[in-house]
Parts: sequence; C-alpha cells; structure tokens
Amino acid sequence: MVAVCASVAIGCSFKTPAAAPPLRPIVMPDLSSVAESVRDQARARESALTRAMASPQATAPDRAAAYGEFGKLLLAAEYGDAAETCFGNAELLAPDDMRWPYYHGHAYRRKAQPAKAEAAFERALARQPGNLAAMYWLGETRLDQGRTDAAASVFEQALAIDPRSTSILSGLGRVDLARKDYASAAARFEQALAIDPGATFIHYPLAMAYRGLGNLAKAEAELRQPRAAATSPADPLMQDVARLLDSAMAYQSRGIDALRRNDAASAAAFFRRATELDPSSASLHHRLGTALFLSGDASGATREFEEALRLSPQLARAHYSLGVILASRRQNAAAIEQFTAALRTEPDYLEARLALADVLRGVGRARDAVPHYEEILHRHPEVADAELGYAMSLVILGRREEARARFLAGARQHPDRPEFADALSHLSTGSDTR
Amino acid sequence: MRIPWVWIVLPLAVCSGCRAVADVGRPASSIWFDERAHDSGLTFVHANGMSGRFYFHEIMGPGAALIDYDNDGDLDVFLVQGKGESRLYRNDLAVQPDGSRTLRFTDVTTQSGIRTTGYGMGVATGDFDNDGCVDLYLTNFGRNQLYRNNCDGTFSDVTGRSGTAGSGWSVSAAFVDYDRDGWLDLFVGHYVSYSVEKNTPCFSLSGRPDYCSPNAYRPEQNRLYHNNHDGTFTDVTTTAGLAGNFGPTLGVVADDFDGDGWVDLYVANDGRENQLWINQHDGTFRNAGLLSGTAVTVDARATGSMGVDAADVDGDGADDVLVTTLTGEGTSLFLRRGPAAFDDAGTRSGIRALSLGSTGFGVHTLDADNDGLLDVLSVNGAVRTIEALALTGDTFPFSERGQLLHNAGGGRFEDVSERAGPAFTLSDVGRGAAFGDIDNDGDTDVVVAGNNGPVRLLINEAGNRKHWVGLRLLTSVRKRDAIGAHVEIIRQGLPALVRRAATDGSYASASDPRVLAGLGDNSTPPSVRVTWPDGRVERWPDVPIDRYTTLEEGTGR
Repeated sequence: MVAVCASVAIGCSFKTPAAAPPLRPIVMPDLSSVAESVRDQARARESALTRAMASPQATAPDRAAAYGEFGKLLLAAEYGDAAETCFGNAELLAPDDMRWPYYHGHAYRRKAQPAKAEAAFERALARQPGNLAAMYWLGETRLDQGRTDAAASVFEQALAIDPRSTSILSGLGRVDLARKDYASAAARFEQALAIDPGATFIHYPLAMAYRGLGNLAKAEAELRQPRAAATSPADPLMQDVARLLDSAMAYQSRGIDALRRNDAASAAAFFRRATELDPSSASLHHRLGTALFLSGDASGATREFEEALRLSPQLARAHYSLGVILASRRQNAAAIEQFTAALRTEPDYLEARLALADVLRGVGRARDAVPHYEEILHRHPEVADAELGYAMSLVILGRREEARARFLAGARQHPDRPEFADALSHLSTGSDTR
Repeated sequence: MRIPWVWIVLPLAVCSGCRAVADVGRPASSIWFDERAHDSGLTFVHANGMSGRFYFHEIMGPGAALIDYDNDGDLDVFLVQGKGESRLYRNDLAVQPDGSRTLRFTDVTTQSGIRTTGYGMGVATGDFDNDGCVDLYLTNFGRNQLYRNNCDGTFSDVTGRSGTAGSGWSVSAAFVDYDRDGWLDLFVGHYVSYSVEKNTPCFSLSGRPDYCSPNAYRPEQNRLYHNNHDGTFTDVTTTAGLAGNFGPTLGVVADDFDGDGWVDLYVANDGRENQLWINQHDGTFRNAGLLSGTAVTVDARATGSMGVDAADVDGDGADDVLVTTLTGEGTSLFLRRGPAAFDDAGTRSGIRALSLGSTGFGVHTLDADNDGLLDVLSVNGAVRTIEALALTGDTFPFSERGQLLHNAGGGRFEDVSERAGPAFTLSDVGRGAAFGDIDNDGDTDVVVAGNNGPVRLLINEAGNRKHWVGLRLLTSVRKRDAIGAHVEIIRQGLPALVRRAATDGSYASASDPRVLAGLGDNSTPPSVRVTWPDGRVERWPDVPIDRYTTLEEGTGR
C-alpha cells in the first residue's frame, strides 16, 4: 500500500488556514492480507481522498468529507489508529461538521481512550446540541471513567429530549446502581421496560437493583427473563459504518445480528452475500442454511448444509442441522446417520445425542435410544427432554414401573413441563404414552 | 428443544534478618520491580509452535508455578512449555551474613523425572497425597498430567493411576478441599472443543486471517475430581452439579464467597457468563453467578474473562473478585457486599478505565509496596493482531506491557506502571503469572510467562522498605500448606488485614501459598487469627515482623 501512503501524504501537504494546525499523515495499515473486496473499497476511498486534496475546486468541507469517508471505512475495518487520524483531519478541515468529532469519539473508544473520546463527543455536541446518540455515548464514556455525576448530567439532558429512550433510562439506572441508589435504579429500569418490554438488556441491571433493595425474589424473577446485550439509541451515523464493509466476515456479523433480532430473512440475505464473497467457508454455508431453515426454506437449507459438509466433512453442527431437517421429513435412517456422524466428531454434542435418541425411539428402536438418554442424563440431569424421552423409551420396553418413577421425578423436577403429568395419567389409564 | 489456617512460632532460617537486608543490602531505589530472569539463570523461552495458520491453541498458553518442591524454604520455578518440554528450575538462593542475597536458578528438569508429554497450557500445585511435599498438575492441549512429588527431589507421573488425565483442552486448574475432609480435590477448567483437525479459519471483519474467538467452538465441560485418599481421584463433575452448565473456562479461584466456611468456586469464562459455584456442603454446588453480580457486567455483557483473583481489595474483611478481560472491556472488580453478593466496582475504582487499553491475562492482588493496601498487577497480551505492531513488521504482533495499579486508598487505583521500573516497559504476549517472595526478602515478586517469548522475573525492590509479616500455614495433618485458610492480621489501632493462603487464581498459574502482608511503617508485632480450612479458628499474639513464621494448626490458642 505504498501508493496509498504516498497519495495520502500528498493530502497532508494541503495548506490549511494559517492559524489551523497541520493535517496529520495517515499511517496506513497493511492491507495486503485483507479481503480483496475491502482492498477495493480502500483503494476507492483513497483515490477519492487524493482527488479531493489535489482538486483546486474542492472546498475544505469536501476534503473533510473525503477524509471522513476514508476514516469510516477504516473504523469499520477495525483500524482504529488510521481512522482516528482521518477523523482528526476531517475535524480540522470542517470544524462545524458534527459528524467528524462524533466519529472521532468512536475511534477513540475503539482505541480504548475514554478521556479523548469524551472530549470528542463534547465537541460533537457543541456542533449539534441535542444529538441523542452523541449524548448517549458521552454519558457512556463518562461512566467508563467512573464519573457518575458527569454521566448523569448528560443522561438527564438527553432524557429531557426523549423521555421514552430506554437506552438513556438504562444509562441513568446504571448511574444509580453505581451510586447504590437502588430504589431510583429500579424505578428507571422499570420505566424503561414499561416503555419497551422488548428491551431485554434491562432485566439484569433491574435484577441488581432489586437485589440491592433486598428483594431477592423479584431479582431472581428478572434473572429468569431472556437477556440481550445493551443497545444504543438510534444512531444513523454508526449504522452507516456498520453497513459499510464489503467482506464475508462483515456480512456474517450482520447476519448474526439479524438472527439476534429474529430477522431470519435478512440474516439469510447477509449470509448469502458472505458466501458469495467466501464460497470456501463451510461455516458460512452452515449459517446460511440455518437462516434459510428459520425462514422456512428447508430445501435451500439442505443444499447449504450439504455444501458445508462437502467443504468440511467433520463439521458436526452441519451434520446435526441436516439431521434435524431429515428427521422433520421422516427420513429417519438418513437422520440417524447424520446425528451419528455429528457425535463421531463431537461426542459431547448434547443436542445431537438427544436428537439421535429421539429419532431412535421414534422408529421403535427404544433399546438403542436408552443408552443415549442415559448418557445425557448422566452429564446433564437437568435436561427435561432427555428425562421425558428416557421414560417413554422405558414404557416402550415394557419397564412401566421404572417409567412411572421417571415421570414422577420429571414432574417434580420440571413443574413447567406438563408432559410428565400427562404421561403419568396416560400410563395410569393404560393408554398410549408414546 | 428445551435444552435449553502453640504458640510455637518457628522462624524460617532463611529469613532471619530480612529487614536488615533491605536496609543494608540494597540502596534505596525509586523503581518497584527489576527484571532479572536471564541474570538469575531463568533462560526459558516459550515456543508456541506457531504455524502461520492461526491454530487456536497457539495463542492461549502458558502458565508458570512457584513451588518449593524440595522443601528448602525457597520458591522454585516451573515453566510450562508449548511445543517442547516444560522445565523445572531449582532456586539456589544464597543469603550472605550481611543479609545480601544472590538469586540463581538451576535447570533440574532431567533429574526431577518430569517429562512433559503434551502441548502445555498451565499448572496447578497442591499436596494431594498429604505427604508434606507439593505436587504438580499440568494442564494441556490434550491429556493432562499429574506428577507426585517423591519428597526426594524427584517426581513420578501418576496420571494414569490417579484418574485425572481427562481429555480435550484445559487451561487453569485448582486444588481445593471442597468437602473439608482434609484432602485436596481438583477442579480443572476446560476451554473449548478444538483440535487442529477441527480448525476453523477465522478472520477479522476486513477478512484478514486471525486467531478465532471462543465463539467459533463449543465450550468443553469442566471437571471436578474428588480425592479418594489413596492416590486416586473420582470424577464427580456430574454428581457435584457442574456437568450441565459450563462455558469456555480460562480462570478459576476457590474461596469462601458466601461466608459459610465452605469453599466455593469462581469460574471465569471467555465470552460467556462467569460462574459462582456455591458449595452446598453435600458434595454439590449451585451456580449463583448471575444473582451474585459477578457473571456479567452491569449492562449485562459477558466479557472475555481470562485471569482471576480473590482477595480483600477494599479491606472490609471479605474477599472480592478481580477478573481480567479483553481490550475495550476493562478489568472487572467485584466488591463483596454480603454473602455471595457483589457490586461491580470496576468503574468506581478506576480499574476498568485504567485497563481498557489492554487484554489482561495473569493477575494478582499483591501489596507491592507493603503499605497495607492491596495493589493489582496484571500481565497483558492481545489475542487479535495489533495493527500498530503488524505495521512495524512484528511477526507475532500481540505484545503488550504489563500494568501495576497502585491502591491509592479510598477505593481508587492509579496506574504506576510508568514509574514501576524498566520491567514495565517490556512488551510481551503476557499470559500466565505466578506471584510469591522468590528471594525471601519480604515482598512479592513475579514470574511472568509470555507466549512465544522469554520468561520474565520481576524482583520487587520496593516492598521491604516497609514492615511486613510473613506466614506459612501448615495443616495438622501431615504438615501440608493449608490452602484455603484465612488469616486476620490484627494491628493495633488499625483495621485488621484479611489474607488468604492460596496457590490458585491468576491465569494457568500457581503462586506462593505463604501469606505476606505489608504493615507499612507500623513496627508493632500484630496478633494473628487463623481460620483453618476445616473451620477451626486459632490465634497467635505478637507474631514477629519482618520475617517468616510458620504456624501449625493445633498449636495456637
């Protein structure tokens, strides 16, 4: 990338106004081993920067934009040092544009420099007061440094602007937790969940607030709720960065995020693009297959799982996934083959062993299923499905008293699983429990 | 699928006059630690066998152990090798009549009988057979090894008979008497289900080949082995309740976290929720990680947890938990506020912000300057390519500097690495770290095990400028180190210092089981109250300062 360095150096010779500090040279990362598609993106943005710096018609904001766009790509590609330089230069060239100090702040966060990040977000807010995303990240950056009062101040200002922001309420709740003001924290978190019950990242800090108040029952109830990682307020500028990188891994990352949002169709599209960029990745084909299956396209999923296994015959999770589809189609012999192959590579693959046992039981091979259930229950006595399947297998084998004891034990251990009581009832009446 | 620690005080000969040594033997120096590995004969260089194909196991080792294997009163060094054989170095410490001392290590691996056979990851120490000689458990990428100390300077590989070989990939392990029967059991933390054959190429977001995150593989089940008192162990993982809930474990520390007198287990997982296994007194454990507040950060993020330590950081008498993590996450400090209940104080203490820029591995709370307050030393090293290093042509661009965070009091820490000495200007791929008083001069030294680089020996030059008390705690049974004992050092007019006798914690490493507590400028001999692992409590008044004293269970008041 000598050309890139040289051309950017040209950019740095650009004369800034006499009072302004000089632009800093970008020390370019070694892009020789990155994906070709990303190199192309870097070349394009480098060229745009070179052109902007060389063009007499280009205004300072134009040149700032060229630095900024290059910086965004570098930020997306996890090159924090080079990105930070770009945004610094952009700030010098367009001191009124909020975007560049905002991105500059994120570059400093990426470099784990919270004090510099804080200053950058403050500059962004000076240019665009009331920008919620900048206020949120300013608050977070202050919390990173243990400056709770300063964090609370900016979060409060943000809440005045958007009283329904769960992210801001969460920030204020975490300030209260740090101050050990558990009542206030609980109120904040409860308010956030009332606004958006889907903000599952609130459950854990709310549990900590309840625990601080001495209410362990409520704390434990919150801990039983599903949890996701915290989110920031709507952030179009950073979403732009998140969508920027054209690499298989970047698309994979977007696909995983989509799956976390239960958006299987979008996930499939992202994984599809990832496989186009890296067709040799068995893992990507498996992910695509999973997303397709969740989207209802079992045939497409089958093709992708088979491709994953062609590329990596020992990929246990692909064997398992393929087995699940085959079992759903009642192709039991083929399903048994796939689950067995998965276990051959990973003997402690719980899900595969349970699936194998269930299929074996389903085809009348209860005697073959029993050792698998026993293996699972030996290691994972808490797995209700294994307990249930084991007991049902015992029924099939005519070991009804043993089965009855297992159903009873299962009903006690898993009160949320009515199947145990139902099975007991059927067993008592002599009807088919299988 | 819904699977969802007589009053018979026995001064150790090697330590008499230690305080004088500090005054006479060495001029006052402004530095805290001096690096002396090579000068002292620790010439070990770790080789990770890197292939250029970013095999996952290459980046995760090694550990180190400080172990007085020959019972001569000084700490010897065991260093874990990746590709090649691990080495045992005998400490031939010489103390002159004037108190000055010469530190010299001799490689005794061959005569010791230790022949490591696997790709080494870590090491745990403990006298599992209660013969008064400390034994070695080696974790590997592959089958583990248990070496029994024959008490004659040699070891025997008893892995097969002991039943502790296991399989898969384990990193950190700890000897712990979880059932209080007087015999050390063994917890082995396993990482992920990985083999070279199953290697999955991993890439950065930009598509550059790099080492994988643990998310690329399934975690392996941890193991708990019960000591059968006859040289054998029984795998009780399932019956103990540990089988069904596990993550990619890298760190483990055993301590009584709920104050019931029974030892619990804190397990640090890489990218998954950490676990706090509370001892139920019946051979089983219950995970209280989430409710305890130590499983995730306050905003519900599971961190890339690596090294771990348990100690009374805030001086309230209850042990707290420290966990090192990935760059950008910051070291977690969980302060205990009640039985099995902790507050996340990483931010408030300043520790999180001070550590954001590094990937922490080995870590320990030590009183580096013997002022009575526990400081934090971590060794660091990245797990993903550091671009700035790659740009310089570094072929293994993962090195970072270690950090010394000084306890400034009032619950706040300050980074003193810059003035802690040249040792902290060295950049290594830090992994394991073992902590102990290697030169027996009354302050805590450090052996740093770097990945694919030379071992470092950080000799503390600062601590013994202050007064200190050193204790070796021995059980009544066969006089082995009383791992798990707690000591209250009761000072006149000052809060008591609570310390733990332990070898566990840090990362893949084993530390000095002795207790060393700084007393600052206070020269009044303290009284000591020991709570032994079996729950018995004894007291010794006026314990001598500035020297080591051996306290035997059953000889106190």
